[in-house]
Formats: sequence, C-alpha cells, structure tokens
Amino acid sequence: MFGNKSLHQLVFIALLTLIMGKSSIADTSKPLTVVTFQQAPFAVEGDIKDSGLIVEVLDELFRRAGIEYHMVFYPLKRGMAMSENLDNHCVLPIERSQDRETNYRWVGPVLISRYGLFSSDSTSKPLITLDDASKYSIGSFLGSGVGEYLEGMGYNVEFTSNASLNLKKVQRNRIDLWASELVSANWIMQQNKVDLGEPELVFFTSLRAMACNKNLDNSRYNAMQSSLEDMYKDGFMHRVATKYGARLLTAQYGVGASF
Amino acid sequence: MLCLLQCFVSIAAQAASEKADFWIDNEFTPSTLTKAEQRQELAWFTEQAKPYQGMTIRVVSEKINTHQYESKVLAKAFYELTGIHVIHELTGEDDVIKKLSAQIITNENLYDAYINDSDLIGTHFRNQAVTPISQIMSEHGKQATLPTLDLDDFIGIKFTTGPDGVLYQLPDQQFANLYWYRSDWFERADFQSRFQQLYGYPLGVPQNWQAYEDIAEFFSDKVRTIDGQRVYGHMDYGKTDPSLGWRMSDAWLSMAGVGDKGLPNGLPVDEWGIRVEDCRPVGASVERGGAINSPAAIYAIDKYVDWLTRFAPPEAKQLTFSQAGDWPAKGVIAQQIFWYTAFVDDLLQPGLPIVNADGTPKWRVAPSPLGRYWQRGMKSGYQDAGAWTFLSSTPKQRQVAAWLYAQFVVSKTVSLKKTLVGYTPIRLSDIESDAMTQRAPYLGGLVEFYRSQARNVWTPTGTNVPDYPGMASMWWQNISSIIEGEYSVKQGMDKFAQQLDAHLLMLEQKAKQDSGALCAPILNPKQNPSHWLAQPGSPKAEIKSKSKGKTLPYEEAIRVWQ
Repeated sequence: MFGNKSLHQLVFIALLTLIMGKSSIADTSKPLTVVTFQQAPFAVEGDIKDSGLIVEVLDELFRRAGIEYHMVFYPLKRGMAMSENLDNHCVLPIERSQDRETNYRWVGPVLISRYGLFSSDSTSKPLITLDDASKYSIGSFLGSGVGEYLEGMGYNVEFTSNASLNLKKVQRNRIDLWASELVSANWIMQQNKVDLGEPELVFFTSLRAMACNKNLDNSRYNAMQSSLEDMYKDGFMHRVATKYGARLLTAQYGVGASF
Repeated sequence: MLCLLQCFVSIAAQAASEKADFWIDNEFTPSTLTKAEQRQELAWFTEQAKPYQGMTIRVVSEKINTHQYESKVLAKAFYELTGIHVIHELTGEDDVIKKLSAQIITNENLYDAYINDSDLIGTHFRNQAVTPISQIMSEHGKQATLPTLDLDDFIGIKFTTGPDGVLYQLPDQQFANLYWYRSDWFERADFQSRFQQLYGYPLGVPQNWQAYEDIAEFFSDKVRTIDGQRVYGHMDYGKTDPSLGWRMSDAWLSMAGVGDKGLPNGLPVDEWGIRVEDCRPVGASVERGGAINSPAAIYAIDKYVDWLTRFAPPEAKQLTFSQAGDWPAKGVIAQQIFWYTAFVDDLLQPGLPIVNADGTPKWRVAPSPLGRYWQRGMKSGYQDAGAWTFLSSTPKQRQVAAWLYAQFVVSKTVSLKKTLVGYTPIRLSDIESDAMTQRAPYLGGLVEFYRSQARNVWTPTGTNVPDYPGMASMWWQNISSIIEGEYSVKQGMDKFAQQLDAHLLMLEQKAKQDSGALCAPILNPKQNPSHWLAQPGSPKAEIKSKSKGKTLPYEEAIRVWQ
C-alpha cells in the first residue's frame, strides 16, 4: 500500500518519464543533467553563479572528461528519483550504500564525509561507542543516508525536511542528539551563530558519489571515473576540500587527534 | 616527590588491574586461559597502548553478530583498558569493499584497519596496497605484537596467506556455508515412508544435487502443508543486489564441479572458472581455457534458477542475503543447500518454531550435496574468514594502534566468549574447549564441522582472482539478467565470460603500462571451445546423463567430516 508521499513521487516520476521519453539506450549526444541540492558549503544556488565545493569539483571533473553538462538544483529525494528514472541524469553527492548500489551507475568517491552526533551545549552526553546513543532520540533529515543507517540499526531517529531544523530541535531539547555531516553542521552552526562544540562522537564515514542513471554509456562513465581518480592523485581534491574546511581524514591529524 | 610519583604509578596500575578484573569477571568468561593468564594478557595491552593513549582509531566491518559484539562491547573494553578510542563501524559487506577500494584509489586514510573477507587474497598479494601482517609483526608493529598471539592456533591462516608465503590478513571471524535442514521433519515416519514410495530411496541428508532437488520437490509440491502451514523444500534469494553475486561466487559453481581438483582452490581452474598458468590468470571463457561459460557452469546456474522458481517461497526472488536469512527461523523451510553459519545464533533464539523447549535446535547442518560435475579432491563448499586488513596508505603509527585492537579482539582472553556470542570460531583452542563441547548439542552440528578436517575442505575464493573489488559486481549483474529473463542461462554466462575476459585483458594492459606487475594476467589466445573441452580437467565436457538421487542418515553423512 502506498502512502500519499509515495504516490506523489510515483506520479512525478511517471510524468517525467513521459515528458522526457525514457529509453533503455541513452542518447550520448545530449549533455548530462547533474542534479544537486542546497547543502552549504557543498552546493549553493546563486542568482548569477552557483558556488560550493561540489560545484568546483564538477567543473573540474567535466572539464577534464571533456563532457558537456548543466547543473540544476532540486531536493535530494527528487533528484534521486530523476536520476534513477531518466537517461543522461546524475545526482550528487549521494551516500553510496549497498541498498542503493543497484539503482544507479556510480562515479566516486566525489566526497568522503564524516558524521557526528552533536548535543546541545547545555548537555554533555559522553559516548564511547555508537551503542551508547541507543537510549537517546537522534535527529536527521529526509533522504539522509546516515539517518537511514541509524534507523536501520534500530536507533530512535526523527526526520526533518531539512538539516537546519535539527539544530533548532537539539537546542530546544526536542531531540537529544543531532546526527550530521561535520562540514555542513559547522556551516549551519555558523549561519545560526550557534556553537554546539565538538561532536560527542564521530561515528561514521561515508563515501559520497555521483549516482548516474544506469544507462549511462561506458565511454562517458570511464572518462568521468578516470578524471576523478586523477583529481585525487594530483592533489586537486585535497586542495578544494581544504578550501572549504573539509578536514575529514585522519591522515591529516596524526596521533592524539580528537577525530 | 619520588614517593608521590611512585604512589601515582602504583594507583594507576591498581586501577588498570581492577578494570581488567571487571572485564574478566563480567564479560570474558569462559576463556581457554586461566584468570591469571587473562590478567597477564590484558596487562600487556594496557602497557603497550601507553604511547597511543588518546588516539581515536577507525575500523570498519560488515554487520554480522560477531562484529556487533566487537563494536558494542569489545571496543568499549579496549578503550577502558588502553585509553585508545576505537570507532568500530558496521556496514554492508559490499560497502566495506567499496571503502577499502576508495582508500586505495584516493590514497586517503579513511580507516586505520578493515575487516574484510579473505576472498580478496588474490588482489592483496598482487597490488601491493596492503601492509601484510607479516610485515607489521616483523617491522613497525614488532614491539606491539602480542607474545601469546599464537598464529598456529588460527584455523583460517592459510586463507589469508599468499602464494608467496606472506601473511596478508589476520582472521577475525570465520563462517562456512553448509547444508541446513529440519531434522524433525526428516525423521517423521510418515514423510520417510512417503518419500521412499515416491522416489525409491530413503529421505535423508542429500549427497548429490538430484537428491536435493527430489527433497525440494517433495516438501514444496507433495507435502505442501504441515500443521496447516504452507512449507517449502528450498530457500534461496534472487533480488538484484550485490549479495546475489556472493551466492554464486562463493562456491555455487564449485559445488556443481566447475573447477579443477586441488585445495584450497582448484588448479589450474578455480571456483570462479578462471584459469591460471604460473600464477597468471589466462582467461575465464572456455575459449581461453576457463570455465565460467562451460557446461558445468551452465548446469550450476540452471539449477539455481530452476530451484528458486519452482521450490522456494514466491517472495525469495525479491529477497537479499540478509532478508532471506530470516526465513528458516519462520519454520516453513525444509532445507537449504547453502546456508551461512553466521546465522546460527539467529536460529537458536528461544521461542522460535525451529527450537525445542530445552533449547536444542530442530535443525541440523551437514555437508552440502554436490553437483554432477564434482569429483573427489575438489573443494566441497565455501568457508571464509573476515580478516584484519591494513592498507599501506594508513600511517604506520595508526596501524600499530589499530593492530593492538585487532589482536585484542582475537586474543585468547576474549576469543572463546566471542565465539559463543557469534559462533564464528577462529581458534582451534576455542573449538576444542570444554565450553564448546558443552554447547555442541545446541548448535546442530556446527562444532562437529569445525572439529573435523572439513574445515580444510570448505574454502574461500582463491588467488586466481586478481581484482576481486573490480570483478565481484559482474556476478550479480549477470546472474540478475538471467533471473529476470533478459538472457537464457547460456547467453548470460557467455556474456559474463566475455566481460571477465575483457576485465582480465584490461588488467594485463594496465600491468604493461605500469612496467609489469606481480602475477598480472596474460590472456590465452581464443580457441575453439572444443579444444579445451577435450582436455582433461576443467573446463569439462557436458555430462548428459541424469544422476540418481542419493541420501544418507545424518550420522553417516557427517562421517564425511571425520
């Protein structure tokens, strides 16, 4: 039985499919449509120019691969449905998981993200293992892979329509912990002039990738994947990550780092 | 001042000792060590960890019960004993492999250690991305190597050792795929008599695929209901998902008899149907001397699809590995040809319809039946060791801290308790312990399997596979297209063979660009398949004759394991 949300999504996908003519063989002469979603500082839609870490990565990736593309902003769930159902569409950054593996053709990793559990500054919840969080309510947002991960592991997860709302909820003690990707959490806190401090636990690392329609042709797939790998090898990815404060990897911390 | 310092040291030592006693008394019981030996082992960890106190180490593994225990309990114990904080992430097995590959691709230190199946041994020994355990033990981790580690006590150590004699990974948990069946149903006089009447031989543990098929048909089509409930003679899964690939690549083809004789894996053709010559893969298609589209492989996949369609619950085609794992517990499945022992604990829960009131199971495990092409001297089934793996891109100091945690979760202080939680034994000393003897009647034959030589004949993917992360996804993609009817079995396996050959060729070309690589593929030229099918061994020519079903009573069936 479908709920209203699922029904709306199905109608949306059916209409898109009718309008854009879904076929099993993608037309490789068409530029790729890359869907992303508002998540500062990764992707921010501007009046004149879009900006963000992902925007810069895409520019470089498609330049190196020699592929035409244009970027559009939609909510995450909608972008995922478009990419799953429409040829020549990709969506990013998506948390790659076994459950999602078969739905797309993946180019990645475009982003390596770490996730933490934040608590309100008035409350300290020392967590040694993730299991210690099982007695708390945890906030996440719809479409979040890490929210689905926690829910699948039996944790008490409450979903909001966007990530920022969780900051308000945790401040007002409507949730005990806020599960968030670290860079975007810091950005949301800065925007709201709130400092929750360091996360109680940095509990998960995810590979975020570009999820393309399964009919994506081999030549474009290979060009994108190989360009991306080169961008890691020659240090481009490191430079752009550092520019946006994405100090994500333990290699940079050495002994004694907090995460 | 000196007195103050001495007092402080003495208080700290006492606190550490009290913590150790707490964990020994409350968690690490039973153990094959005496309490005094456990204290000594834990004190060693406390002492060795001092240079790394305050560090946070990241490790990742799949989600099975054993790793949940490590993540929830052992990581916390290790932190309290050593001051090293371990974030032990749990995720899907496919995700573990993706993350390991991502660290290799990006050269970024995503994790300090991985627990991934030893199926990747062919990749690890070729690509130099792994820091072998042998190297850690002899170089930067020498000082931090547990004196009581006792490598010879690990039953899976040969799975994680390369053809070069180097130990690449350290086993953490081990599981096998065995035949699973409802012994209470098989023992029923009415079913025995009816089966004998219909098929002309006794209902018992099937020794070949024909008997398995007959029993599947018997329960699905002839018996149909027991106590008013619809029952099925076969359980499997078929959803398009990475786990569909494991079903096949783990050992399905080898049980059918696709590969050559040889242990732990067929030589020169292995269970993936890949032929090697002088350690170099030379082809997977029959045209190049491989067997992935050989008559034996087509027979294997044909049986898989046929049984899934005819005898399994209708839902099975839409289930993944873990979803299908719940089904035997429902009490409606008569047998499963290829059942993962990592699920033992799930099928022992009190109150399940497959568990007696006294806690003993109504089910047994036994050797899996073998297909028409199987011959004595070949591997009999799948067994694997989830094993500690360290990548070269992890800084050495972090490797050593993670090495301490790895040794802790396999140490003799904790390994027996861990075995009794997850039933994934790694140490012979645990398997032979009194605690396991006492537990044996409650485990349906698992202990008998591990105490027999069978533990050497059930083996993981071998060293013929040069790029497991790059090639494993081809299995589920191709098998799925066969299940969904897009291709016939023959067409699908021909396409699969071409893809595997193309990937081997790509590796060959890449190795040439990189000025050669250890044991890289060099493809054989294509020949008419009849050339290879006429040679002895694999690929084997078609066997058209239908074999007669053969069964044995449980006691005789498990003698194969003695």
